[in-house]
Amino acid sequence: MNKRSGGLFRFFKGTYLGLLLFFLYAPIVVMIVLSFNDAKSRARWGGFSFRWYLRLLERSDIMNALWVTVSIAVLATIVATILGTLAAIGTHAMKKGWANAMLNVAYLPMTTPDIVTGVSLMLMFVFVHMSPGYWTMLIAHIAFDTPYVLFSVMPKLQQMDPNLYEAALDLGCTPLRAVRKVILPEVMPGVVTGALLSFTMSLDDFVVSYFTSHTEKNLSMVIYSAARRGIEPSIYALSTIMFLVVLALLLIINRRSSLEEVS
Amino acid sequence: MKRSWFAGPYALWMILFTIAPLLFVVYYAFTNTQGAFSMASFLKAFDGQYLTILWRSLYLAFLCTVLCFIVGYPAAYFLASKDFSRSQTLLVLILLPMWMNFLLRTYAMMSILEDNGLLNQFLKNLGLNPISILGTQGAVLLGMVYNYVPFMILPIHTSLKKMDVRVIEAAQDLGASPVNVFRRVVFPLSIPGVISGVTMVFMPAVTTFAISRLLGSGMFLLYGDLIEKQFLELNNWNFGSSLSMIMMVLIIISIGLLNKADPKKEGSGVL
Amino acid sequence: MVEDMRLIELKHVSKVFGGETHALNDVSLYIRKREFITLLGPSGCGKTTLLRIIGGFEYPTSGEVLFEGKDLLAIPAYKRRVNTVFQKYALFNHLNIYDNIAFGLKLRKMPADEIDRRVKRMLALVKMTGYEKRSVDAISGGQQQRIAIARALVNEPEVLLLDEPLGALDLKLRKEMQLELKSMQQELGITFIYVTHDQEEALTMSDTVAVMNAGRIQQIGDPKRIYDEPKNAFVADFIGESNILDGVMPRDEVVVFADTRFECVDKGFAPDERVDVVVRPEDIEITTPEMGMLRGTVHSVVFKGVHYEMMVDTGAFRFKVHSTAMHAVGSEVGLRVVPFNIHIMKKVTDE
Repeated sequence: MNKRSGGLFRFFKGTYLGLLLFFLYAPIVVMIVLSFNDAKSRARWGGFSFRWYLRLLERSDIMNALWVTVSIAVLATIVATILGTLAAIGTHAMKKGWANAMLNVAYLPMTTPDIVTGVSLMLMFVFVHMSPGYWTMLIAHIAFDTPYVLFSVMPKLQQMDPNLYEAALDLGCTPLRAVRKVILPEVMPGVVTGALLSFTMSLDDFVVSYFTSHTEKNLSMVIYSAARRGIEPSIYALSTIMFLVVLALLLIINRRSSLEEVS
Repeated sequence: MKRSWFAGPYALWMILFTIAPLLFVVYYAFTNTQGAFSMASFLKAFDGQYLTILWRSLYLAFLCTVLCFIVGYPAAYFLASKDFSRSQTLLVLILLPMWMNFLLRTYAMMSILEDNGLLNQFLKNLGLNPISILGTQGAVLLGMVYNYVPFMILPIHTSLKKMDVRVIEAAQDLGASPVNVFRRVVFPLSIPGVISGVTMVFMPAVTTFAISRLLGSGMFLLYGDLIEKQFLELNNWNFGSSLSMIMMVLIIISIGLLNKADPKKEGSGVL
Repeated sequence: MVEDMRLIELKHVSKVFGGETHALNDVSLYIRKREFITLLGPSGCGKTTLLRIIGGFEYPTSGEVLFEGKDLLAIPAYKRRVNTVFQKYALFNHLNIYDNIAFGLKLRKMPADEIDRRVKRMLALVKMTGYEKRSVDAISGGQQQRIAIARALVNEPEVLLLDEPLGALDLKLRKEMQLELKSMQQELGITFIYVTHDQEEALTMSDTVAVMNAGRIQQIGDPKRIYDEPKNAFVADFIGESNILDGVMPRDEVVVFADTRFECVDKGFAPDERVDVVVRPEDIEITTPEMGMLRGTVHSVVFKGVHYEMMVDTGAFRFKVHSTAMHAVGSEVGLRVVPFNIHIMKKVTDE
């Protein structure tokens, strides 16, 4: 690792990584290419076309799922960001024992298998006579998003100078004002990272949504049911769009975190 | 007003939407359809046919983890070496699919493997007989490895990357040949990364249900599929809850075992 | 005792990083058997690079390195009879203390009882007996330091390389370890190549000191000689706190600096050659203004524990003077220096 290795071994390494990339990307590339294939058959290239993308616009189920996915992601992100940031600030001020209890419970949804999170919420919603639909899906999303915000903000609080808050109080701030004027600006990078993570998680979720909403479908659920029926080129188009959106989101998150590393 | 009260709303939220739902699972697991205490559904989970499915899930998840390790470790190791000037870009490329919806990835895999998919087109062009892969255990395994291998690479790469170069030099200095440097220093020091990679692959692999449904054409039920069926098709919530509880317990035991193997908790997370 | 045999010899060694900066610039040097040699210099002077080349972790861009007359560069690091004590110790934290020390011996497939004997002996040498099973994370910095030394020494190397090994320790511990290292070296009869930026450490421990700057060896010799007769202004400045002035030598044994003519003992310079003049603060004597060769005003006074450090302004130069007697700020004083304590040096020309 210290010295660059010899030509042959280096060639082997390059080949290995190349094959791995091929394995990872071949299916994705095939899918993207086929989404522009005019022919319905996957065996034949029928010329370049946006046909399947236009078809998407005509599919009301997909358009509705798009609306559900985006609106849930936005709402869940907003609520989770507020809830998680407040929770982080509060937890940071707690005694060690309480803070640990808080963090351990918050960690639960991150270790519980998605399927168990899904069925457990479903059981409860049905028990309290909430029929699994849009609002239950939203609650479920907030439930699995908030820990990401909490755990993004916590480290920023721990890095913060503990005297900062006291200094603000000393200078005449009320506790609420001190939090708003001093703590919040300090932890802002963590809040934004947490929000972006929440948003990505929410857009991406399938399993929990699948169990907590039976009437409204998000895009993942549409893809799942379409896949169970067989392959369909308009789903390729949808997948291509979703892939590009996630790619863009990741670029933004990465740019942010590399900026943080620099500063 | 005390600052710790800021955590109040989320504490309440967690009681309602994290703890309470899990208690419902426990409640349903130990009752019957009338709501009376009953061990029936629990005992049913230990019937031969269900144990076979459990065994198959564990076996496939285990195979998947081993394959991901075999494929992923060299990749992580090569990426961590100084041989490639663009290794950062390569790493991002390898990890990118991790962030892509797993259904999309599975769907993409399906269209390669299906009977008149790209793979068979390719075989036909070579003059070979097409093979039917979709609906076999091999397809399910391939799909799992395809989905989870980046999760193995990332933590191993992180642990290799943050390794102090001086430690490697120290090993050389003390007479270790390149093979021995790897065997006695690099690999042991990357074990926390391996453990977190194993956790990140094994856990989702053992609980998955959609991958097996799509690539196994419903022929290879896994434990996740079984649970899903109870809740959404057969409406047998008690039995479904028992199965969920068994799965939770298995997960907790495996996390416990893996933590024991990594006592210093140096495993590096994804985030 | 240092033997005359040349164990390691560097010939015209240069190392260029990234195509431009010379970490080492045509360095030639030999190291004798059983010598305690210190490479001394500020950070970035090339001392660590030099050490790493001998250790096998870095290769020179040009030049030769010989070990007992044979090419050392052809031998990979793991086959060299050289061991290193790394700057931050680089202990293996997946192994306990015993296994850290036994690491090199196990690689040599030594029988277990022999390994055991040697490890125990080393632990005794570094005064860490009884710590075998401890984790390396669970001991203090000073103890980690001892383990790092034991881990290297147990292999009985011909040469021990030490890269600022005491840098992370506090002052008191550092002093103790200096003495221990020196006595270990004498006891074991191993060649030590020691890298440090601490001139006091270098002067107290070494048989030979090589002062380095900007990739070159500025002066090499025994510590006393380097302290007493620094060859240029850089060495004088780096080795001790000094007054360094520009001067001119109109003829042998006469030098003019601070607008004043002084007698000195140096000769052999061209007439009116421009030189660096070094006068150490403790060599300046304070007298009454009338008795002084120079006349000045005390500008500041700081008590340094044993002596006072005063800055005396003569108009032409502000001299740093050490004295046990205090003179108040603003008071008029005279300064005297005996010819023997005026050090004349050739000007260093930067190439």
